Amino acid sequence: MFLTLIAVTIGLLIIGISFVLFVIALSTLYVTTHAWWDPLTQAQTAYTALLPEPALSFSLIMPCRHESERVMATTLKHLCEQDHPNMEVIISVGHDDPETVAIARKLAAERPHLVRVSVDEGPVKNKPQQLNTALAMCSKDIVGIFDAESIAAPDLLVHVDSCFQIKNADVVQGAVQLVNYRDSWYSLRNCLEYFMWFRSRLHAYAKQGFIPLGGNTVFIRRDVLSTINGWDSRCLAEDCDLGVRLSVLHRKIVIAYSPHLVTREETPDSIRSLVKQRTRWSLGFMQVYAKGDWKTLPTIRQRWMAWWTLMQQHFMAFAGLCLPFSIITALVGKFPIPITLLAFAPLVPAVAALAFDICMLQEFGRDHGYKIRLYDYFRLIAGTPFYQVLLAFAALRALMKFRRNDFRWEKTRHSGSHLDYLAAARP
Amino acid sequence: MNSLIAPNVGTPLTRFLFTAGRSTQALRHVVGKLSPDQRTSLLIATAAAVLSGWNLLNAPEYQDDEGTYTAQALAVLEGKMAPYTYWYDHPPVAWVQLAALSWIPLLLGQGDQTYVGQMRYVVAVFFVASTVLVYLLARRLELQRVFAVLAAGLFCLSPLSLVLGRQVFIDNVGLPWLLLAFYLMLSPRLKLWHHIGAGACFALAVLSKETLAIFGPALLVALLHRPYWKTRFFSLVGFLSVGGLILAFFPLLAVLRNELFAGPGHVSLQDALTYQFVSRPGSGSLFDPDSSRQELVMGWMYYDKYVVIAGMVAALVCLLRREARWITSALCLFSAPVVIGQGYMPAMYVIAAIPFLVLAMAVAADLTWRCVALLFPAVPYPGRHSGGVRLVGLGTRMAALGLTCGAMLAVITVLLLPQWIAMNRTLLQTNSNRDWQHALEWSKKNLPRDDTALVPYSMWQDLNADGRHDPWKVIALEKMDLDSEFETHHPDGWRAIDWIIEGPPTARNIENLQLHSAGQALRNSRIVVSFGQWHVREVIEEPPAVWPQAESASSGAAR
Repeated sequence: MFLTLIAVTIGLLIIGISFVLFVIALSTLYVTTHAWWDPLTQAQTAYTALLPEPALSFSLIMPCRHESERVMATTLKHLCEQDHPNMEVIISVGHDDPETVAIARKLAAERPHLVRVSVDEGPVKNKPQQLNTALAMCSKDIVGIFDAESIAAPDLLVHVDSCFQIKNADVVQGAVQLVNYRDSWYSLRNCLEYFMWFRSRLHAYAKQGFIPLGGNTVFIRRDVLSTINGWDSRCLAEDCDLGVRLSVLHRKIVIAYSPHLVTREETPDSIRSLVKQRTRWSLGFMQVYAKGDWKTLPTIRQRWMAWWTLMQQHFMAFAGLCLPFSIITALVGKFPIPITLLAFAPLVPAVAALAFDICMLQEFGRDHGYKIRLYDYFRLIAGTPFYQVLLAFAALRALMKFRRNDFRWEKTRHSGSHLDYLAAARP
Repeated sequence: MNSLIAPNVGTPLTRFLFTAGRSTQALRHVVGKLSPDQRTSLLIATAAAVLSGWNLLNAPEYQDDEGTYTAQALAVLEGKMAPYTYWYDHPPVAWVQLAALSWIPLLLGQGDQTYVGQMRYVVAVFFVASTVLVYLLARRLELQRVFAVLAAGLFCLSPLSLVLGRQVFIDNVGLPWLLLAFYLMLSPRLKLWHHIGAGACFALAVLSKETLAIFGPALLVALLHRPYWKTRFFSLVGFLSVGGLILAFFPLLAVLRNELFAGPGHVSLQDALTYQFVSRPGSGSLFDPDSSRQELVMGWMYYDKYVVIAGMVAALVCLLRREARWITSALCLFSAPVVIGQGYMPAMYVIAAIPFLVLAMAVAADLTWRCVALLFPAVPYPGRHSGGVRLVGLGTRMAALGLTCGAMLAVITVLLLPQWIAMNRTLLQTNSNRDWQHALEWSKKNLPRDDTALVPYSMWQDLNADGRHDPWKVIALEKMDLDSEFETHHPDGWRAIDWIIEGPPTARNIENLQLHSAGQALRNSRIVVSFGQWHVREVIEEPPAVWPQAESASSGAAR
C-alpha cells in the first residue's frame, strides 16, 4: 500500500515536472527564435535609417579594473576613432588599482582633448560605483557604456544618434558579440548565447515592455539617468536593474541589431571565470528580483512577464538537468507508458531548439564573416549538455551566495583573445 | 394543484423566451463580428454537418475496419491500445482521438445506437473539419470566393468522399491534420510558428494514418516553391525538426514496450513494417485487368469518375500558377504508388487525394475565368491575379458575368449532377445495414453468454459489451488465426468455437488473410438463422461424413 502510494506520487510528480519542463522549453524556444518569426520581425530588429547629420553629443564611459594595457589601448582606440563629431571618452578606474590608473592616465595623455580619467575613491569597489563617479564628469547629451575589452564599430555612434532621433528614444541598447568562438569548447556556446541574446531575446522582451538591459554598448540620455540617480551601486547586475527601473517608468527603450554594428568582445578566459561571470549575472538577476521594482508594474500581465523574464535564466539552467533526470526516473520506475511518453515530451521543444542553434550558428558565421566548419557544428551539439551543467552549477552557486548575502564582485579576467579574431574575419 | 402551477407557468416561459431572444441577439452579435471568410466557413460547416449526419447509420454498410477502429478507440478508454494484442498495424493516434471525442454521440442523443454507428458521428466531426479546411485552403490560394465554395461543395458532395468520408476510417481522422498542415504551410506572412505548426500537424496526420506520409514532399514544395525570404532556412528546419521529433514518438513507443525489433514470442514494429511493405499480399499491377488494384481504381471511378479524371487534368493546369504547383506534386505523389506500385493498396487510400483533386478543379476554374476575363474585358475578375480596373458599363458586366457563370453551371449540371444525384440518393435514402442490425439483435438475444462466438469485427464491440466483456469469448474473426494469444485461451483450436456470425465479408477475409482455423470452423458449421446475406451459424464438433459443404447449407436457411 505504502509503495503504491509512493509510486503514484512519483508518477504524478513526473507528469507535473514534464509539464513544467515543456512550458519552460517552449517559452525558451519562443524568445530565442523571436527574431526569425517572420521577415517583418526581422526587419523591425534592425537600426533605423541613417540621418544626414548627427544632432546629439556623447559621453562614453569605459570602466576598467585590472586590465592590461594592450586591451585598454585597443578599446580606447576604437572609441576615439568613431565617425561622430561630438563626443568624449571617460576612463573610469578605482583608486585601489594603481596599475590600471597609471595606464589610464598614460592613455588619456595621448588624446587630451578627447579622453579624461575618472578615479573612484569610494571604499566599496564595484562597477556601478565606478560608473556613478564617472557619470558626474559627463557633460554630453547621451551617456554610453563600453566595457574595457570591447571593440566598437567605427560608425556605431552615428547610427545610435539617428536611432535616438527617429525613435525618440530614452535608451538605445546596441548589440555585443563574443567572437573568439574557436578558443575552447565552451566559447562557441558562449558566443552563440550572446548572439541569441542580442539578436533575438532582447527584442522579444522589448516587445513585452520589460527589458533587462545589458552592461555594454548601452546608451542612455544623461537627464534620464540623473532623474533616477544613476546606477544602483549595491546591485551586481546594475545594467539589468537599470532596465527594470526604466521599464517601470515607461521610458522608451530601443533595442537595435545590425551585424556590422556589434561591439566585439571575448569570452571569459577559463571555465572558472565563466562560472564566476555567470554566478554574478544570476546573482544580479536574483537581486533585481528581490529588490521588487518590477512589482510596481501596472498590470498583472506585465508583472507576470517581469517575473518570468527575471526567473527564466534560472529555470533554464535547471531544466537542462531535470529533463534527463525525469526521463530516467520514468524509465527505471516502470511507470505506465503514457507517463513515460509524457516525460519525453519536453524533448520536442528542447531538441528543436538545438536544431535552431545550428541555424543560428550558420547565421552568426555569415553575419560576422567567419567560416563555420562542420566540426564547429559538431562541437556545438556535443558541448550542449556540458554547458548546461556549467550554467546549472553557476545558478546554484548564485543561489548559495544569495542565501548568504554574499554580494562581492567577482571580476571576469580578459586576455585579449578577441583581438586576434578581428583580423581573421572575412570582410 | 393547478392553482399552484398556474402562476408559475408564465415565468419560465417568459424567462425561456427572454433567454432565447438574448441568445439570438448574442449570436447575431457574434456573427456580425466575423469576417466574410469566417461567416462562409460557418455556413459550409453547417451544410457539411447536415449532409454528413444524414442517413449516417444506414449507408454505406458497416465495414470490419470500422469495427476494428471503434473497438480500439473504446479500448483506449480502458487504458489499452487495442482489445487484442496491439501489433503496430497503424500508429494509435487516430483512435486515441476518436476515444477523446467519443462523448459527441451522447451529446447528439445517439447514445443508444450501435458502437460503430456512434463512432460514425465522431468521424463526421473530422469530415466537417476537412470540408472547412478545403475552403480555407482555396482562399489561401487567393481564389475567388465562389470557387473556394465550389471546392468545398465538390469535396462534400462527391459520392466518393460521401461514401468514404462517413465511415470510421483512420484516414478520415488524419485528413484534417494534413490539410491544416498545408494551410499553415501557406502562411501568407511566412511566420516561423506557422511552419513549425505545420510540422506538428503533419506528424499528427502521419501518426493517425501512415500512408499520409506520402504527401510530405508536397508540403516541402508548398513551403519552398515561392520567392526567397530571409527566414526560410529557419522555417525549413522548424518544420523538419518538430515534425520529425513528434513522429519519433511512434518508434519510441515500440522501444518502451521492448517491441522495436522482431524477436521470439512478441510482436514488433519491425515485423509490422515488414508485413505492410514486404510480405503482405500485393494488389497487383494497375495494368493487369484481373488485379485487385485495377478493381480498386475502377471502384473509385464507379463512385465518381468526374472528380477523379477532371481533378487529375486540372492538376496539370495547376502547373500554370506558381502558388498552386504543390497541388500537382501532391497528386503526383499520390498517383505514383497507384500507377507504378504492385504492393498492397487499401481502398481508403483515395480519401486523402480528394481534397487535392477538388482544389485542382477550383484552381482550374479560377484560371479559366481569368482567361475569359482577359479575352472579353466585360467579364469582371476580382481576384488577386486581375490586371486592373476596366471601364465597362455595369449592364454589360452583369450580362457577361451571367453568361460565364451560366456556362460553368451548365457544365456542372449536365455532366456532374445526374450521376451524383443517383449515387447520393442511395447514400442518403437507403438502409443497407438492416440485415446486419437484425443479425446483431438476434445474436445479442439468443447466443448463450458462456459460449464462444466468432464474429465480424463490425459487430464485435456491440456483442462484447453486451454483458460478455471477454475478447476470447466474443472473438473477432481474424484474431483467431492472427493473435497468438488465441491458443493460450483455446488450446482446442477451432473446436472451441460454438457460433459464427457470417456476413458478406467473412469468406473474403478468410481467403485474403488466409485464416485457416476460422475457415475450418466455418466449414464445420450449419446455419441457424439468416437475415439476407447475414447468417448465424452453429459449429458442429464432429460433422457427419456425408455432411454437405457449408455453402450449400445457405440454401436451407431458416427464417
